[in-house]
Amino acid sequence: MKYKSQKIAYWFFATCMLLFSLQIIYGFVMGFARIGMDGLHDFIPFNAARATHTNLLVVWLLTGFMGAAYFIIPDESGRELFSVKLAWVQLISLIVVGVVAIIGFHLNYWEGRKFLEIPRPLDFLVVVNVLMFIFNIGMTILKGNRYSTTQLVLFIGLLSAALLYLPGMIYFRSQTMDSYFRWWVVHLWVEGVWELIMGSILSYLLIKLTGVDREVIEKWLYVIVGLTFLSGLLGTGHHYYYIGTPKYWLMVGGIFSALEPLAFLGMALFAINMYRKSGREHPNKISLYWTIGCSIMSFVGAGFLGIAHTIPQVNLWTHGTLVTAMHGHMAFWGAYAMIVLAVITYCLPLLTGRKLWNNLPGLLSFWLANIGMTAMTGAFAVAGITQVYLERKMGMDFLTVQKEIQIHFVGLIAAASLFTIGAILFIYNFIKFGLPSDEAIVPENTSDEALYAAKRG
Amino acid sequence: MLSKSQAKLFFLAGTALCAGLFLFLTVDTMRKIPEQTHEANITPEVERGKEIWDKNNCMGCHTLLGEGAYYAPELTKVYDRRGAEWMKVFLKDPQAMFPGERKMVKYNFSDQDITDLIAFFKWIGEMDLNGFPPKPNLHMTSSAATGPAVETPAKFKQLCVACHSLGGAGGNVGPALDGVGSRRDLAYIEKWLRDPSAIKPGAKMPKLALSEAEIKEISTFLAGLK
Repeated sequence: MKYKSQKIAYWFFATCMLLFSLQIIYGFVMGFARIGMDGLHDFIPFNAARATHTNLLVVWLLTGFMGAAYFIIPDESGRELFSVKLAWVQLISLIVVGVVAIIGFHLNYWEGRKFLEIPRPLDFLVVVNVLMFIFNIGMTILKGNRYSTTQLVLFIGLLSAALLYLPGMIYFRSQTMDSYFRWWVVHLWVEGVWELIMGSILSYLLIKLTGVDREVIEKWLYVIVGLTFLSGLLGTGHHYYYIGTPKYWLMVGGIFSALEPLAFLGMALFAINMYRKSGREHPNKISLYWTIGCSIMSFVGAGFLGIAHTIPQVNLWTHGTLVTAMHGHMAFWGAYAMIVLAVITYCLPLLTGRKLWNNLPGLLSFWLANIGMTAMTGAFAVAGITQVYLERKMGMDFLTVQKEIQIHFVGLIAAASLFTIGAILFIYNFIKFGLPSDEAIVPENTSDEALYAAKRG
Repeated sequence: MLSKSQAKLFFLAGTALCAGLFLFLTVDTMRKIPEQTHEANITPEVERGKEIWDKNNCMGCHTLLGEGAYYAPELTKVYDRRGAEWMKVFLKDPQAMFPGERKMVKYNFSDQDITDLIAFFKWIGEMDLNGFPPKPNLHMTSSAATGPAVETPAKFKQLCVACHSLGGAGGNVGPALDGVGSRRDLAYIEKWLRDPSAIKPGAKMPKLALSEAEIKEISTFLAGLK
């Protein structure tokens, strides 16, 4: 850590840990409801649990991106953050909005559109919050003394994410129009601008961890984000197959969705190759695990499992079934949760000044969480495919099919327990690092080198 | 080999091209949606129905147009599948319709709310969705040896199969109805349909809003299942 103001990132990351734990708890509420243990139904009905689970995910990932930006941007632009006070105001107001929204869900207070469940008045607060964040980051870059590609891509990603929230706030009488623009937020976030954020954080981590020349890494960053938009923008079409929109979307969406894995494949090859080229051995192995792991799991979850059901002929049958949940879990985990965890593991030693490299809980956490998530994806896949055949292909009754596939949710809960142990170990490690400290501040350009010295010494 | 400025150009040009094409297709889609979704049929009831749908986050359990969660049934074609009468009874008290099964929150909808919701589902069901949801294309071979003596009544296909199965197709909340005619006679079935709990106090089957003619038709059909 070079600048005092970077310490604020720690508090964003700590918020991530808290929201991540809550998200897992709500996941279990739904898992148990699915095997018939719905004792909480009167207090947390499934729709409340589901919205809380997905919204917490979105909020903790955004909080993680913000934390990452507050760490990366000062480092890249070579100056203190524009305003630490503003960052605090922004963090606290984000938490307040989040808490109000989640309490609202339990009291049946909704906007009620998948992934955009928070009520309209709170939407405006979110916009104000994000504007504060963009302003803070933007001013830091403007006043800084260098414009790196990495920080520029990160900034464009964050700014576009903020702008794309707006189409989701327009009112429509028609369900089809409503859905059409809802996907502008949801799809263009996760399969568009969030990939910019992910790609730039990945680049930053690779520059730091592998020591490969910045010019080489940033060149490939352009190629990857280029591929992302080339496929992802028109790839939105895979949400427009069956919602009352013209038939040409089947072709447009089908073709461009088929290209979407390329961006993720690019990221995986990029990360692995940069690691191979790496001339130095960075002591923070755990962060390297999460970084490389992220690039691979995002390709499998978002790229491969994505294309597996966006082919129009397949999607006709799988649209609106648990197959979507299969893809969703591994995609969000691989692409976004893992990049946030990677940046957290990279930043923690630098923020706190404690050199707890390669500790056992940290490594176990990586493996258990990933094996658990892979097994969860498997459980969703079996349940989803069975549902498609019994309900869609054979026309069996919904509830009858749900009873048939109930056993796979026992498997899901078992896999999720493994995942949870991984998550607990991660949080345990996070706490063990302690609070950020001014003693961890080191002069410009000595940061990483000092760490190697510390390792050798 | 590719240089950094070429890579940047690829990013900027690719993005501009695709964004342009996407906006063009969006404009065209906006022009076509009203006809394809019969926007002229959006009455105030439909609009209020959508509002109720959103305000209660129905998508948190159900899917509509295949979008939502996967805890409760797909509702795009629910109007055709179940019919207005069944939905009226169901929405009054969802848990009474499927006792001991997966629960839906009881929302205490007013009669107007229910009318609005049904209008909304009717409008949704009439959209041209490019073939979604597809008709099942793998058929189960029926184990029922004797086919029904009379043609299956329309109401039976909407209401009864929500809980009961016949020849392997239908729900499994209530008992299967194969061969029910050899267990119960016409008079009993008629009486049962008029009010299940009058025959068996505490019966789980709700009293359905059926007309006398419908009761006669369904009873005759069921009594014929030997």
